Amino acid sequence: MRAAFLQTLLNIMRVDKNVITLTADMGFSIFEDMQKEFPKQFINTGVTEQSSIGLATGLALSGYTVYFYAQAPFATMRCFEQIRLDVAYNNVNVKIVGTASGFSSNQLGVSHFSLEDIALMRLLPNMTVFSPGDPLESEWATRTAYEISGPVYIRLTKDGSPIIHEVKVKQSFILGKGIEITKGSDFTLFVSGSLLPMAKQIVTNLALKKLNGTCISLPVVKPIDRKLILKKAKETRYLFTLEEHSIIGGLGSAVAEVLAESHISVFFHRFGVPDKFTSITGSQQYLLNYNGLSAEKIGKSILDFIVK
Amino acid sequence: MNKIKNYYALERKAREIRNIILEMIVSAKASHIASSYSIVEILVYLYDKFLNINPENPLDPDRDRFILSKGWGVSALYTTLAQKKFFDKKLLKTHCKDGSKLIGIATRNGIPGIEATTGSMGHGLPIGVGIALAAKLQNLHYRVFVLISDGECDEGSTWEAILQAGHHKLDNLTVIVDYNKWQSFGRVKDILDLEPFVKKWQAFKWSATEIDGHDFPQIATAFSKLPFEKEKPTVIIAHTVKGKGVSVLENRNEWHYKTPTQFEIEIALKELSQ
Repeated sequence: MRAAFLQTLLNIMRVDKNVITLTADMGFSIFEDMQKEFPKQFINTGVTEQSSIGLATGLALSGYTVYFYAQAPFATMRCFEQIRLDVAYNNVNVKIVGTASGFSSNQLGVSHFSLEDIALMRLLPNMTVFSPGDPLESEWATRTAYEISGPVYIRLTKDGSPIIHEVKVKQSFILGKGIEITKGSDFTLFVSGSLLPMAKQIVTNLALKKLNGTCISLPVVKPIDRKLILKKAKETRYLFTLEEHSIIGGLGSAVAEVLAESHISVFFHRFGVPDKFTSITGSQQYLLNYNGLSAEKIGKSILDFIVK
Repeated sequence: MNKIKNYYALERKAREIRNIILEMIVSAKASHIASSYSIVEILVYLYDKFLNINPENPLDPDRDRFILSKGWGVSALYTTLAQKKFFDKKLLKTHCKDGSKLIGIATRNGIPGIEATTGSMGHGLPIGVGIALAAKLQNLHYRVFVLISDGECDEGSTWEAILQAGHHKLDNLTVIVDYNKWQSFGRVKDILDLEPFVKKWQAFKWSATEIDGHDFPQIATAFSKLPFEKEKPTVIIAHTVKGKGVSVLENRNEWHYKTPTQFEIEIALKELSQ
């Protein structure tokens, strides 16, 4: 996912000399080529997330489009107040790229987990929030962030995520529109970000048990695809959300907000990281499973909700 | 002789501005009069004698940028901008009133001449560093001036930006520190001492000087030498008096918060007319 981001950004920078990439000393073994190719468009600002957001704003106020890259917790939380007042309030072309989100830094613990970033970024006026789920969505988000005017947050995970969409489908990605991956009338599973492959697996597993679900990827958490959520609320009685983010404030909350004010009666349940800190280490899969996020556990929950 | 006359005119302007600020603050029952009074001479000098700016074209890409990082002193900036005809003086009467864009903290909301939203401390300098860096990258010749408070030098983001400006050799950037020795709760030296202040900036690869921030000849001399050194940003540490110009407002921290009452107003009007 990160590779797709990097390649897309390089292509943008080759064409538009007014695009600058800032990194808060992140991207070892990632940005070396960019640094060589673009000595005037790449700046390592040092481990200074707070002032870097101000610096990015100053560049943006002077006509540049700035991609600011750091690990998700530091790109969003360390400098949240700067993002709010400098970037979001001024509605400037600063694109914040949070890498290693969720439990990506699995061995490093709470300091490096990022499970609150979407909630924070979603809260800010003017901010568009992307949480891509595969390399195609990542490429699309990186380019769309460039095309739209104003602040953007792009949430990335580490490399290695499989391509989920068919390549030709990416032509049809539209800002603020969900992407239907499977069709089924028994339930709808909305997913955003890294757990897209898990969502697809869940729906596939349940199909074997004669439960046919619609799986929808929402790579854009803000603006949320209200229309599609309401449409699915009318078509399928059971609605679920899935994300590698706190149960509070992310995709689940965004969908809940739409449903709660819709006057449509549905069964709704959020799958995400429970409201507690994870103070152990392990593989990413282990940590997800520890927090109840596995295709097996969620599949069983959905089955229980619908059948019982 | 001409020079002395010149400064006399500036001093008169400073008194005028303090009078207008008083009127604005009292009328709006607003705060921060003392923070505004400590920067009046610096603003008068910059806007009257120094900055390359044009009120008719406030967004000219080649203009010098002035950022008031201590955004709570904005009544002094509004008044200075109105004097320079960036906007109609009548607008000053709306300061801090219902629906007005003249907010009590500098906010970039379309008021000509307000370059940045500040006053949340430690924001102005990082933005100024970005704008100065942009000038270097684009080979533009405008200069960037950021007026910060001493209290703001508690903020980590201020020191991050100081480090960055030194590293990137931004000799098109000048910081003026309004060193009035007071912060929100009391004396700077008692709360979080900044000394040795000049040495700190120098250690971060800045060129530094100290002046009396109310003395026009000293202000003029400092600004005439910019940049002090090639490839180094400049800091002018201006020793100032919080509440300067009105004896009962000077060096009393309550005037960071309170609106002058009839008692102070009478003294102020008397002292500012001399």
